[in-house]
Order: sequence, then C-alpha cells, then structure tokens
Amino acid sequence: MFSLLRINTATGETRTEKHTSKDFLLGGRTLSSRLVSREVEATCDALGKKNKLFFCTGALAGTATSSANRLSIGGKSPLTGGIKESNAGGIVGSRMAEQGLRCIVLEDAPAGESGWRVVVIGKDGVKLLDGAFLAGKGVYEKSDLLTAQFGKDAGCITVGPAAEKLLLASGIACSDPHGVCSRYAGRGGLGAVMASKRVIAMVILADGKQKSDFVNKEQFKEESRRVVKMLKDNPVSALFTKYGTAAMVDICQSLRVLPTKNFRHGTMEGAEKINAQTMYDTIKARGGEGKTQHACMLPCAIQCSNVYPDQEGKLLCSPIEYETMALMGSNLCLKNLDTIATMNRIANDAGVDTLDCGAAIAVAMEAGLAEFGDDQAAIGMMEEIRNLSPLGRILGSGCKVAAKVLGVRHAPHVLGQAIPAYEPRGTKGMAMTYLSSPMGADHTFGFTLRDEENPLTKEGKIGLSKKFQVIGSRMDAMGMCNFVRYAVRHDMSPLLNLIKAYYDVDITATEFDDFVKETLRIEHQFNTDAGITALDYRFSETFYDEAQPETGEKMDVTDEESAQARQW
Amino acid sequence: MVRVTFKLTEVGRVELDLPTPLLFREVLQHCVTRTGYTPGGYIAVRKGKVVSAGDMIEDGDEIDIFPALSGG
Repeated sequence: MFSLLRINTATGETRTEKHTSKDFLLGGRTLSSRLVSREVEATCDALGKKNKLFFCTGALAGTATSSANRLSIGGKSPLTGGIKESNAGGIVGSRMAEQGLRCIVLEDAPAGESGWRVVVIGKDGVKLLDGAFLAGKGVYEKSDLLTAQFGKDAGCITVGPAAEKLLLASGIACSDPHGVCSRYAGRGGLGAVMASKRVIAMVILADGKQKSDFVNKEQFKEESRRVVKMLKDNPVSALFTKYGTAAMVDICQSLRVLPTKNFRHGTMEGAEKINAQTMYDTIKARGGEGKTQHACMLPCAIQCSNVYPDQEGKLLCSPIEYETMALMGSNLCLKNLDTIATMNRIANDAGVDTLDCGAAIAVAMEAGLAEFGDDQAAIGMMEEIRNLSPLGRILGSGCKVAAKVLGVRHAPHVLGQAIPAYEPRGTKGMAMTYLSSPMGADHTFGFTLRDEENPLTKEGKIGLSKKFQVIGSRMDAMGMCNFVRYAVRHDMSPLLNLIKAYYDVDITATEFDDFVKETLRIEHQFNTDAGITALDYRFSETFYDEAQPETGEKMDVTDEESAQARQW
Repeated sequence: MVRVTFKLTEVGRVELDLPTPLLFREVLQHCVTRTGYTPGGYIAVRKGKVVSAGDMIEDGDEIDIFPALSGG
C-alpha cells in the first residue's frame, strides 16, 4: 500500500490516498509521468492553477540499498511546454519514506498576491506556515533558516529568488546529507511551478516512524550487498568515485564534442586547465573542506560527487559536475575552475539551472554583451541573474529566450531546453537523443557517446539512441541513481530481486522494460496533446547550415528520423 | 612505435613496437599483458576519431584510452 498526499495550495486542504498499483510500487518517473499525464491538462498554463507538481520516491527508497533515494519531480514544464521529470539526490526521498509517503502533490494555486507558504509534513500531519521569512533570500540562506527552524535532519525542498519571479530556468533545491539545499532537480523550470503555487519551501520532518516492511528481509539484505559489490567491482562505477563526471572533459575534447564558444566549436585550447585531473589535484592540494568524493544521498557506494574548496580550503561549491564545467566553462571559453565554481555557487544560490544559464550567457557573449573568455563578465552575468536585473531575468529564462531577445540565431536548445555538454554535430547519437527526448535536450535520456563506433555518422543512431533511451530511463523509472546503470546494464535482475524480496512482487526484466517504454509513450502523447509537433524537435537552423570546424560536420538528422526515434 | 595512453589511470602510457600492423583488439591485448591492467568500458580515440576493436593500428599511431564514463 502506497500513500499519496494531496495538498491544495489554494485552500490548504490535504488528503491522503492509498494505492496498490505497480505504478506506485515502482515510483520515480514511472509514477510521476503517469500522474502528470492523468491529472494535468496538457494545454494548461504551466504556471497556472491547473498544473500540478508531483514529488515521488522510488521503489527502494528508505531502504539500505545503495543509490536508491532519488526524488523524482514531475509536472508540466514552463520551459519546454511539455511534460517534465527532473530528479535530484539528497535526503528528501529518505524522509518521505520514513513518513510513509510515495508521492506528494501540490495542486491548484492561490489567487492574486497571496503570501508565501512553507509546507511542513510530519508524523502529526501537514501544516502550511507563513513563508515570508524566506522571501527574496538566496537558497543558501533559505537553507540555513530552514535548518535553524526544522533541524538539519529535516528533508527540505526550496526554490531560489529566480523561481519567485517565475523565471523559466529555475530549479528545485533539495537537502543534501549535511542539511544544505544543494541537490538540484534543475531542469525544466519546475522551481517556477512550485513558486507559482506560492510554496516557497516544503519540509519533511525527521520524525517519521515508518520502517521498511520487507517480505523477505534476509534476502533483501543479501541482494542489497550484491548491488554494492557490483558497484564497487564495476570499473566504470569505481572511476566515478575518484573523478566523478568531470572525466568527460578530456573525453569530449578528444572526440571534438566539447561545447566551446556557444557551441560553435568542439574543442578548447587549454581544456586541460578545467579537466578532471586538474580538479582532483586542486581539491587535494587545497585540502580543508574539499573532497574528491562525496555522497549526494545515503547510502551510496559510488560517491561521484565532490566538494570544491576555495583557496583557503573553505567550501566554495558542491558539487561541480561535468555538464556545468562545460556549459559554464569551455562554452564560455573560460579556463579557470575557480570561476566555474563561483558561477555554479551563484547559480545554486539564485536557484537556476547551470546548463540553461550557462548556455544563455554564451548566447549573450555571442551577442556582444561580453567577450568570450572574460571571467569577471561571466561571473557578473550570474550576479545579474541572482539580483534579478532585467538582463538577469532574460538570462535566467534560458538560452532560447535569451537568443530571441538578444538577436542570436545560433541558440543551442531543443524544445527550449539547453543542449547538454556534447556538441551534437560531432555526435549524431547524442543528437538523436536530444531530438527524441520528451523533456527537451537531455543527455541522461539516452547516453550513446560511449558506444558510438563512429560518432560523426547518423547511420544506426536511431536504434542506438532507442536502446539507450530504455537503458537510461530504467534507473529513473524506479528512482535509482543513473550511474547504477553501468552495473545492471546487461542484467536488471539484482534490482528486480530486491523488489521481489521487499514486496513479494515479481517483475520480469521484459515487464520492467515495458513499463519504461509505456512511460515514454505517455510522455510523448502528453507533448502531442500540449501542441508540440514534430517540427519542434529540431535544433536551431544554424546547426544544419554551418559545419562544426573541427569535424566538418553539419546536423543532418531529419524530422522523419528523429520521429522514428520517438516511436514506442 | 605505437603509443597507447590509458587516461585517468595509474597505467599511463604504454609503448609498443609493432613490426606489422595489428588489429586494435590485439594491440590492447599486448597492453594488458604488459601492464596487467584490463580496462572495463572504454573509449579509444586516435586523432579525434573513435578506434574500434577491428581497426588496424600502425607504427606511429597514438591512441588515448578513456574510461567510458558519462555526464550526470
């Protein structure tokens, strides 16, 4: 039996429902996308009262299984106009499980200029408190205030000042294991959706008493240990522990797909200054609070996250991911990790997505507002976003809006969402994935790059992308960290055995993949119903007209081909 | 001389004398024999292009081998 807590943000009424279906058992994106599809009118205003915001835990949330506490957040995206699932690490999933909740949904929206609310959920029920004390403050200060009021073990969810002004690139920040709201469901503008309901924070208290009720506890423990061993033995997962995702800088530079100078180039001279080895060496040399490995959720055997310290060894930013190193680094021709970390920190404080804002700043640089490679100008633009200046609001609305306003045709996005850190003309597999994701350009949706024998050709990439759309979506489908997929890529049985031991429910690998494919169908149907057509799944025309200098490649994926990659 | 560099590992660069061209999978096996290091998933790159197991490797080639990670 799984609980869904409904909170009407207009009336303050709450209601708990019980469900038993496999959708609820799997949780994660399986559940969030189905609920969005069933309950949200596809044509509605994403920032209006008809949209809903779903927070879902996964099938193994609250257990001792490694990397199983992702929080899946779903709704209609104001950035793409389509369906959105964005997930985050942190401790909120654990706290929800302890409260016996599979899903929390924020419904409706107060009329007019209603005050801000903090939703507090605990063993004694739900309270809607005055949230005025958080209004206008950065996420780090909000996080401190929430911790002071509710304790550092509470699972907090909050939004930044960018979301308060309904900027389209605003994300949702969740508590990490240290009680800092630094784990982001960053993509798609879901922060603005939360703020549109005048909810400035949601707190899941650490007073939940719900224990995992295993049908076969001993088998669960055994299978759980097996997953940990697989993760530790897997050479790819093990390297994540040492270098995190930053290792991609060298790989993408070598393959000539490192986004550089507003996605005009695929290599940056001096990329080694911002690569994984430099970051690792810098963190080690500075010591202090710096950490080369760090868990974003507990428990986690991979620990791919990091804590990047300033020159005095004090925490500057945690984490710095490859995508940010590229979109706020090479794509702006910046070669200084301290600059990237500073921009990342400001983004976290403003509550905006580093990819969409990094891409927007590159567009602004191409428009002549600053020189590429100007560290102080880039930091200054992030300050504009945090300070909500007119330019900042434009940049905080993502690269599509920025490009329209600033007169730049080379706008790197699909469905309004910025392209992640793989230049698509140099990797047609990733291009196919970008063009087939119902979420807008998204690399996690189907990561083909490591399996492309010839990244420059589109031949075979429909099938390759679809293969990895399934593999990539499996982890989201049950609320697991995406990096577990390396260990179970060829055999999902360790995770399905855990479900069996926990719930005594048999789900075969085929049935599980059918769930994944059905989720994709549902998501694409939502987008169609929302008015998104095949013609919207395109890059800007410049990607088709202009060759990337390093590879000589233009975008050549046709509408028909990308449509095939969206067929399920 | 063929130079194979295992990036982000302790192994570093391996240099092999190849009297005749060999398939990449054979070159990799020589590296494994020499170093005792077996890469898991990897991406091999020569002059900006991916090298597949069946590609021919010739004297003078320089190949970088990266762990097959991904962004997050």
